[in-house]
Amino acid sequence: MSLLQIDDLTVAYGGIAAVSGVSLRVAAGQIVTVIGPNGAGKTTILAAIAGILPAKGRVTLGNADITRASVETRVERGMSLVPEKRELFPTMTVAENLRLGGFRHRAEGRAASLRAMDECYALFPRLAQRRRQLAGTMSGGERQMLAMARALMARPALLMLDEPSLGLAPLIVRDIFHTIAGLRASGVAILLVEQNARAALAISDHAYVLEMGRVTLEGDSAQLAADPRIVSMYLGTAPA
Amino acid sequence: MTRHWWVLALVLCAGLPWIPGLPLFWVTLGNGIGMSAIIAIGLVVLTGIGGMTSFAQASFTGFGAYATAILSTQYGLSPWLGLPVAMAAAAVAALAIGAITLRLSGHYLALCTIAWSVSLFYLFGNLDLVGRNDGISGIPPLSIGGLKLIDVRLSFTLIGAALVVAVVATGNLLNSRWGRAIRALRGGAVAAASCGVNVAQARMLAFVYAAILAGVAGWLFAHLQRAVNPTPFGLNASIQYLLMTVVGGVAHVPGAILGAALVVLVNDRLQDWLPKLLGTSGNFEIIVFGGLLVLVLQVAPQGLWPLLAKSRTPRHHKAQASPLPQRAPRAPGAPILDVVGLRKNFGGLVAVADLSLTLAAGEILGLIGPNGAGKSTSFNLLTGVDQPSAGTFRLAGQDMTGQPAPAMARAGVARSFQHVKLVASMSVIENVAIGAHLRGRATPLAALLRLDRAEEAALFAEAARQLDRVGLLDLADRPATSLALGQQRIVEIARALCVDPAVLLLDEPAAGLRHAEKQALVQLLRHLAADGMAILLVEHDMDFVMNLADRLVVMDFGTRIAEGAPAVVRNDPAVIEAYLGSPA
Repeated sequence: MSLLQIDDLTVAYGGIAAVSGVSLRVAAGQIVTVIGPNGAGKTTILAAIAGILPAKGRVTLGNADITRASVETRVERGMSLVPEKRELFPTMTVAENLRLGGFRHRAEGRAASLRAMDECYALFPRLAQRRRQLAGTMSGGERQMLAMARALMARPALLMLDEPSLGLAPLIVRDIFHTIAGLRASGVAILLVEQNARAALAISDHAYVLEMGRVTLEGDSAQLAADPRIVSMYLGTAPA
Repeated sequence: MTRHWWVLALVLCAGLPWIPGLPLFWVTLGNGIGMSAIIAIGLVVLTGIGGMTSFAQASFTGFGAYATAILSTQYGLSPWLGLPVAMAAAAVAALAIGAITLRLSGHYLALCTIAWSVSLFYLFGNLDLVGRNDGISGIPPLSIGGLKLIDVRLSFTLIGAALVVAVVATGNLLNSRWGRAIRALRGGAVAAASCGVNVAQARMLAFVYAAILAGVAGWLFAHLQRAVNPTPFGLNASIQYLLMTVVGGVAHVPGAILGAALVVLVNDRLQDWLPKLLGTSGNFEIIVFGGLLVLVLQVAPQGLWPLLAKSRTPRHHKAQASPLPQRAPRAPGAPILDVVGLRKNFGGLVAVADLSLTLAAGEILGLIGPNGAGKSTSFNLLTGVDQPSAGTFRLAGQDMTGQPAPAMARAGVARSFQHVKLVASMSVIENVAIGAHLRGRATPLAALLRLDRAEEAALFAEAARQLDRVGLLDLADRPATSLALGQQRIVEIARALCVDPAVLLLDEPAAGLRHAEKQALVQLLRHLAADGMAILLVEHDMDFVMNLADRLVVMDFGTRIAEGAPAVVRNDPAVIEAYLGSPA
């Protein structure tokens, strides 16, 4: 039984299909990755699942068909997106960003919100030191941590991460991926979109390879990590 | 419409008011419509086409009106002399105000023009020179020979003639080198700058031209009303003129006339009818007028003119033209571009740390790298969109470091855009002709007087030549945005070729293209390189760039991590790690 089920997803920008006929599954507690070169349509898939872009096809979360649901309804039903550009609220503090992330549980009151924030601070101790700092003044790695923490504040069943390694130095990328792998213990399912194929394959259970808007390979992450086709997909075929 | 529609229009202006039985009141309304339309045409150029919203247009009418009023009452000069003086007064005022204000854009510019409008209104009302709030009265009427133009029917002819001249002149201006620059301002100022257009000058030109038209209307107003005071030059009047253009169709010259007619007539009729319906106890006409306005803009957000007439892009007939002078071709292999240690910081973020590369005539160089590697920033540095924090950039031995985009174009660097930037309201060939901006000399004044036709023919012949070179000459007269994305990208390359560049910089030219289109693009770029063009492209499509480029420069984290032939680069462990990442 899959937590997230995508069937025949097609997204077009002005008549040009960016994603065509993509189907994928994420089971509860699993880490699933979608890898592929720039422009393959990875971000488009996440935007469509989150309801930000109109798409054809079917999106099911749990037992509910959410194909027609609004972005905020999807969040209410338990999916959170960490966007590629992080999209923090730059003029708000770390704590304020987190509190907005927990908007879904606003009815539970302030004490519950503070408890959830403490859990986030435990996961990202760096943010605890910076809770009064404005989000716009933080470094790239800290922004990515805050974006992830803000998404977790919604206590989602499914966390979607869009290129968490983008623009970050290798050491910080390593930190971020360790954190993502560690989230598995909390029970949240993760759909990870990455250009950094090796790191993504190393921490995931199952992988989809996306090229030109279509899934061209799919399988167990460990097996795909050894597949030579991945290199030619990223770097093209050598000229004759 | 025939080419000589204006002769018919002039005859109508002379004849219409003399129709037997026509109430003079209607002729007077017509005069008001005509004067408003002249001002509104200026606003079409400024706001609808140039993209600058002005709430100060009535103030320039005031400059014109007061200038001629002072001249003819205090110095006793002929009212006809007042016309050039009124135009000059409005132009000088616009130059001064524009120099201070036009650096702003969007709603900041609009707010600032409101401030100007309010302060100029009080200035007119408090200056002794212009009679404070009482204004200047006893202004002499215009006269021809001994005939004084006091009869409103004679005024109608005069205003009509002025309107016809304004329409013709505006058409001439918009279909000229500088007119295309103004039309490219809205939305695509970066593209215009990359073709060598001095964007600040083009904005100022639109601002001053609109002010001069307002000055002409002010001159007419002063001598027909025979008295001026600050009221018709205040903020309310400016808002009315803006309303006229918006209702009529803000990007269309005929829309200005339609809008002026509708606003004047509806206002007048409402003032007549509503008191009969609802009594005279309130200003209902303003409420009803507002309601009508909301309704019109709901039904026709682009204004009413586009509903009445489908806008067409003009056909350009092939004319005999002497070819434009060209840059001397370079021998293949001659070094052109030499970049050393280019660096760009955004605050504490280093987007490009240290980029060095060279490019020779006839060479195709691919700049590649994973997302966030600094390719786009590098591209902006090389094209003058951004200024580098450190490093040097030499073009054929000449130091171009820190030069803005138009200077780059002048020196021979032309570019295309990742997100195609063509002017939607212009035909393919007009868009391409923007590229030849720097290869023309004609001034805006020459364009107004249609003295630029030989040069225009030469510019369009060059645009046609470049369209032929890229294989799209058949589509020359189509609206630019009616083309498929792939074709639009090729049009951008034709526009860049019109700059007569030594170096062609292409930002993801293959993005969104179909397979056959990519093949055609490879052929085209190889042909250009064979002609001695140096080509640098940023590209994500690896198959495309590996096949096309002679040499690749690979970036990661703002630095060059590899350089060499495609076959070598793709087996470089550092490149593979940059693209595929290292295991966590």
